[in-house]
Amino acid sequence: MKAIKIQLWYGLLLLGILLGLLTAYRVLISTGFALYAKTDILVWTIPIAAYVFFSLTSTGLAFVSSIPVVFNANRYQPIEKRTAFLEISVLMAAFTCLLLHLGSPWNAIYFLFSPNFASPLWWLGMLYGLYFIVLLLSFWRMHTAKTSKALGIFTFIIAIATSTVLGWLFGLPDARPVFDANFLAMYFPLTGFASALAAVLLFSLAYHSFAKVPLSEGDKNLYNDISKLFGVVMAFTLIFFLWRTIVAGISASAVEFAGFRHMLGSGWYHLALWIGLVIPLLLIAMPAVRNATWGKVTSAALFLVGMFAGRLEMVLSGLVMPTGPKAEGQPPFVSYWPTIWEVFVFVFALAILLLVYTLGERNLKLAEVPE
Amino acid sequence: MPKYAMVIDLQSCVGCGACSIACRNENNVSDGIYWSNKITETYGTFPNVRFHYMPTLCNHCSDAPCVRGCPTKAMHKLDNGITMHDPDKCIGCRYCMYNCPYEVIYFNWQDPHKFWRDTRAVIEGGTSSPEEMIQKVNSGKGTPYSNPARGKTLPENRPKGVVEKCTFCDHRINAGKIPYCVEACPADARIFGDLDKPDSQVSRLLGKFKPYRLKERLGTEPNVYYIRSYNPARYERTKGGI
Repeated sequence: MKAIKIQLWYGLLLLGILLGLLTAYRVLISTGFALYAKTDILVWTIPIAAYVFFSLTSTGLAFVSSIPVVFNANRYQPIEKRTAFLEISVLMAAFTCLLLHLGSPWNAIYFLFSPNFASPLWWLGMLYGLYFIVLLLSFWRMHTAKTSKALGIFTFIIAIATSTVLGWLFGLPDARPVFDANFLAMYFPLTGFASALAAVLLFSLAYHSFAKVPLSEGDKNLYNDISKLFGVVMAFTLIFFLWRTIVAGISASAVEFAGFRHMLGSGWYHLALWIGLVIPLLLIAMPAVRNATWGKVTSAALFLVGMFAGRLEMVLSGLVMPTGPKAEGQPPFVSYWPTIWEVFVFVFALAILLLVYTLGERNLKLAEVPE
Repeated sequence: MPKYAMVIDLQSCVGCGACSIACRNENNVSDGIYWSNKITETYGTFPNVRFHYMPTLCNHCSDAPCVRGCPTKAMHKLDNGITMHDPDKCIGCRYCMYNCPYEVIYFNWQDPHKFWRDTRAVIEGGTSSPEEMIQKVNSGKGTPYSNPARGKTLPENRPKGVVEKCTFCDHRINAGKIPYCVEACPADARIFGDLDKPDSQVSRLLGKFKPYRLKERLGTEPNVYYIRSYNPARYERTKGGI
């Protein structure tokens, strides 16, 4: 029975990957990006929002996995190896989304031969490349039952650099002041950390459930600690989220902020606020719910769903209002609903994440504690 | 080195769109892409209304945000001030479109001139298909009216997956000619020249009329200037009233 369930799981993941490969063929080789609900106004949509979601979750996981070595918090050691492997899996999902966002990804070789040091995108590309290599090295060290303090600290520093550079990337254009680089350079690492704590709770508890490994008293205390930390970070996220709403959405009157004001009425915004922040925060604030496995799983899952909606809302808020010559013949705000191919990009990334993670969980002894 | 700029005289511009048509022909611009474009605005309430027409194109900014953001220098500045794009280095990230405050950069979402790839005859049994025509006229490339001269500094037809925009007709400038939109303007509303030459027509116009540029507050230093404004209307002189 267990073998059938596993085969069914692999079958589902392979189906997701096949759909993704079909999407990649049609988008990059045959038909082109006309398959996406992109226009000359909405130049960035779900693939880039998913990239931001996965890449920031990965850097947040780097903060979590670095806790034992950077902050000498040894009680986090039991999740260190799993978190490190999850970072790699999630980052692979981020790269998948990026691949299906770029029109000519093969020209990325010019990151090396024709670098533009003034571009945050160049720095981001190089940092994520370096980050991936360091993650692989770091995990390999853990797999050989040793932890490298130097690699742990290095991972922590690169994770801060990547998530803040992503804030610089969004906040660079003076033409889109709704993206404030100073705000995003704080908001991105914070929300990445919150997403990572949610992911750690989900994947760790899933391991105990599916592998039928009962939770020891130490495990219970650790996951209760993580839930408390998750609640605190989620509360800070809600504060930042509301401040962004007040500053850029309610009190700002400049025309460049009109797109965000428009998004305040969108389903994506309300999904991010109510499903992704308010409800999970209320759940986690109740000790009885917080200490129960179902409470942890529900609040973590809701938070991640809301966070994805929030990433999409954020990307769209800078783009939905057509300006200049591209506003000719357009309504004051354009609407967005993804095509099935854009959904397949997300499914592809998620399938890669889960497949890599499942293979790791089954073969790499992620529950081991490195020395 | 020259520093090229364009002056658009809005008093002379009649909004005929000849610049946009000329641009499409000269640069083999595909459907849905506009190197030369316009902003139109209507003010007032009927019957007191006014229509305003402003031609737009890449501003070839001296401090171009698209160039600053491009990770591979696909978008780059030439010594003569032209903002140029190299599709061979473009990764198709569209960060330049995101950064451009003037919305003048376009992405090739699909293969260019796709209507000329249609294999169905326009009239079944009566005419050839667009695909057959393009095969006979232009070896299956671009359009039957493709301009091969455009291919000297850019691909004749830009492929899908990369951005494109106005180049001030750099291929014509290299051949000692002015941009084709300037050439084609029947009202001589577009004036092109070298800002480094004090006696060039553009320098003289900028000294004679108070010019303005789009979104100057952003500090991008556009090199497309607008002068004057067309308005022949007269109105009855009064002090208004309460």
